[in-house]
Amino acid sequence: MSNILETSGLTVTFGGLNACDKVDLEVPKGQFVGLIGPNGAGKTTFIDAITGYVPTSAGSAVFDGEDIGELKPHERAQRGLVRTFQSLELFEDLSVRDNLLVAGYESRWYSFILDMLYMPRKDQKVEEQIEWALEIMGLHDVADAMPSDLSHGRRKLVGVARALAASPKLILLDEPAAGLDTAESQILGGHLREFLDHDMSVFLIDHDMGLVLSVCDYIYVLDFGKIIAQGTPQEVRESETVKKAYLGEEAGEIQAQAGERMTSLQHDQGGQDG
Amino acid sequence: MNQFIIALIAGVGTGSLYAMLGTGVVVAFRGSGVINLGHGAVAGYSAYVFNELRTSGDLWLPWFDIIPEWGFLKTLRLNNLPTRIHVFDFEMYIGKPPIVPTVLISVGVSVLIGLMMHLLVFRPLRNAPILGKVIGSVGVLLYLDSVIAVNFGGQNRSSSGFWVFSPFSDPVENFLGLGGTIPRANFYLLFAAVIMGAVVFLLYRYTKFGIATRAADENEKGASLLGYSPQMLAGVNWVFSAVLAGLAGILFLHKTQPSLYATFIVGGLGAALFGRLTSIPMTVAGGLIIGMMSGGGVQLANNDWWPNWLEIEGVRTFMPLLVIILVLYFQGDKLPIRGTLSVGRQPHAPASNNVAVGTIFAVGFALLLSNVFVSKWESVLTAAVVATLFMFSLTVLVGYLGQISLANYSIAGFAAFMMVRFVGDGTLQREADYYIINGLDMPTILGFVCAVGAGTILGLLIGLPALRIRGVQLAVVTMSSVLAIEELLTKSRSLMGDGAAAIQPTPSKPTWFGQYIGGYNKETFRTDYWKYSVLLILITALVGVAVVNLRRGNTGRRFLAIRANERAAAAAGINVKNAKMLGFGISSAIASMAGIMLAYKIPAIQAENFAIFSGLGLLAFVYLGGITTGYGAVVGGLLVAGGMMPEFLNLHFGDVEKGMINAVGAVGLIVNAIVTGGEGVALLQSNALGKEPLALLRRNPDEDDAPAADEDNATEGASV
Repeated sequence: MSNILETSGLTVTFGGLNACDKVDLEVPKGQFVGLIGPNGAGKTTFIDAITGYVPTSAGSAVFDGEDIGELKPHERAQRGLVRTFQSLELFEDLSVRDNLLVAGYESRWYSFILDMLYMPRKDQKVEEQIEWALEIMGLHDVADAMPSDLSHGRRKLVGVARALAASPKLILLDEPAAGLDTAESQILGGHLREFLDHDMSVFLIDHDMGLVLSVCDYIYVLDFGKIIAQGTPQEVRESETVKKAYLGEEAGEIQAQAGERMTSLQHDQGGQDG
Repeated sequence: MNQFIIALIAGVGTGSLYAMLGTGVVVAFRGSGVINLGHGAVAGYSAYVFNELRTSGDLWLPWFDIIPEWGFLKTLRLNNLPTRIHVFDFEMYIGKPPIVPTVLISVGVSVLIGLMMHLLVFRPLRNAPILGKVIGSVGVLLYLDSVIAVNFGGQNRSSSGFWVFSPFSDPVENFLGLGGTIPRANFYLLFAAVIMGAVVFLLYRYTKFGIATRAADENEKGASLLGYSPQMLAGVNWVFSAVLAGLAGILFLHKTQPSLYATFIVGGLGAALFGRLTSIPMTVAGGLIIGMMSGGGVQLANNDWWPNWLEIEGVRTFMPLLVIILVLYFQGDKLPIRGTLSVGRQPHAPASNNVAVGTIFAVGFALLLSNVFVSKWESVLTAAVVATLFMFSLTVLVGYLGQISLANYSIAGFAAFMMVRFVGDGTLQREADYYIINGLDMPTILGFVCAVGAGTILGLLIGLPALRIRGVQLAVVTMSSVLAIEELLTKSRSLMGDGAAAIQPTPSKPTWFGQYIGGYNKETFRTDYWKYSVLLILITALVGVAVVNLRRGNTGRRFLAIRANERAAAAAGINVKNAKMLGFGISSAIASMAGIMLAYKIPAIQAENFAIFSGLGLLAFVYLGGITTGYGAVVGGLLVAGGMMPEFLNLHFGDVEKGMINAVGAVGLIVNAIVTGGEGVALLQSNALGKEPLALLRRNPDEDDAPAADEDNATEGASV
């Protein structure tokens, strides 16, 4: 089994409207896969469906060799299928580090007894993962601050870091770059490929065409709930269907170039913290 | 069969009251988005005012004289807050004062209460999170009930009811040929409920005010863009709702005592939920159905097959609970939740770093005051410590997990009664015992464990609805559970032992490992036995440390994550249902321990020891102390009636009534909800160390500058 995620004929229906219509999609292990499409194409609905937040009406989703169709959202997360949210959804009452700790540690039935005795399990691997997540998202200086004290962009990075802290097998990023300022976008864009070195695969949804084209190994294009094209970034960029449906020839090219500039600039600066 | 139908129809009387209260609840909800748990108490206050005017001619305003009798205030003649106005002189009116001015004055008091609720409570709370609004309405309930206790003595009144509704109106004999008699007043009440519902319905449907209210209810932002002030509409609706409550209270007065109105709200809430908080006709129908179910249910339970360990009369309070649970279970998703323009934050719940120091300090201080060294403070000290122990259960459930359960004190009571039964052995243990309690004759420790287990199981059952519903709806369910538990279980003679309905001795065999640990001292005839105090302090300290540690560990973080955002918590791999059940389990186990320790302290426990208002009072004070920290529970324990602080006040201001303390607690609760969002005295003080204290008073806490990391540590360190 070389695919970490595989959907076949996945369909989500809202009151007669197919928000996702027979979507067949594969995310190979260790690969960076993107999903693009215009507003209302069904991208977020697709993530909601495979993470269990909306019911599917047909089709199947197989994660890591297991049919996850019947699992609850938290069961899917525990198996390593972790998402971020477009609308932040941070734990506002917990510090940034606590946000990550919640996702990092799994709970056993006896955990609360250990906690009451203040004998928390310290897992070196989890602690390292959390440190790495803070580091890579440039959040070390605000690790003890509350999310409400951060800028919108940095709050988004906290959301990504929280997903990373869970040591996912596949991380689903729902428009992580929306609302970020230039410096924050660079932190994100410059580090996205590094996720792959930490035993995870990445599935990215974003409006920022440049970002998607520059970091993804493989791209699916969604429109009106249907996959209308797929291929490498080069193939997608040149695809006539995609151009018609989404990019518009000029605009897409400009965005693509801007994206390349953005990621290369980040590499030049060598991973500076926000 | 005929008898059953007669019982159903007889329930229409109570059902009409439920319908009227429900109508008022819906009006307030549509106007402001708040489900007012104190609506019944508003009706109760107006009913008392009406009754008092009719019997003594005095008008009591909805507050009491709180100004102390200090010398300089006396010289300035500022020592009195006017509370009583003598309106009718009985020399002028032979018999009773005229009815129309009496009703008008009583309704006028309702208007005043409505304005106070809007201007002093719910308007300042308009942007508070749901927890804050629920706490605000709990504050209204507790305040009005306490003021009733102070002004009117809280006693049952011989009714001085309203003309045609008088109990002396001749009953209908052989109604519809069914053979039974039905009070004629039932039909008048039904008529009144339907008229009230119809007027409100038409008002909302056809007047400009009603349409604007409905618009604001559906979309507050949209209505304000169209030039309607949502707060103006809310205010008018609050007054309107209070007037409806007052009318309901006056109309129903002949059938019940005014002190019962506050608890009748449960039926009203059931009716309002039946109408999905929007439809007036459905609300009226719901109220009537609940009333009829209660009447019919009691009739059905009065049969051989009914298990004798459940009190038959308890069915009456169980029916509203049943309807509420059914409606919420099947319709919960479709109930309107009003989106306001902005939502405030939840109370901050910092982890503490210096648990050891704080615990040693607190335990040392408690032991110093105990009988080991001085004897004077023993009784108040243990009252405060028992309260603190109980409050830890609320810290976990309300503070950490964000589940507003009002039923914890009933769980404490249930566990206390179970303890009595588990260890009971049919012998008199003390000279002061009145009743012999038969039981399982367990060793004390085993009995303690089993009773805590029984309380925990009850707590998990009460928590079950929380898996589907949240926020204010959970508060409604748990508040109804309190009454059902009291009537069905703790007043049950066969379950709790003979005489349980009236009085119940403390656990027999008050010994642990051969040591007598009952609080009652055989030598001084007072509750000041030192071994009890030491045991209580130790148990409380252990529980307190466990609760604080819970917040420091991952379990507490998970609870707070669920409180903040259940959707995101699931995405972080948290099993929300299991975690909620865990929270309810821990919380009810702690509450059970507190109940059992209270049973050892006092000479005799009764169902009334665990009545709803005692529980709400404790919630008020832990909220005042700080619901999110262990330190808050300690502060809250010092504040409760019978605890340290009121005792201190007694020394300086003479006798302070329990009702006054609870009323002050209710005011403090509301002020605290508005100012600190529930962080309470504990965090107010510790925040002052790290940040400027006035930051808390600002309208929007989000505007605070980002604090540096070291300042945050200082904040955390200060709160144990």
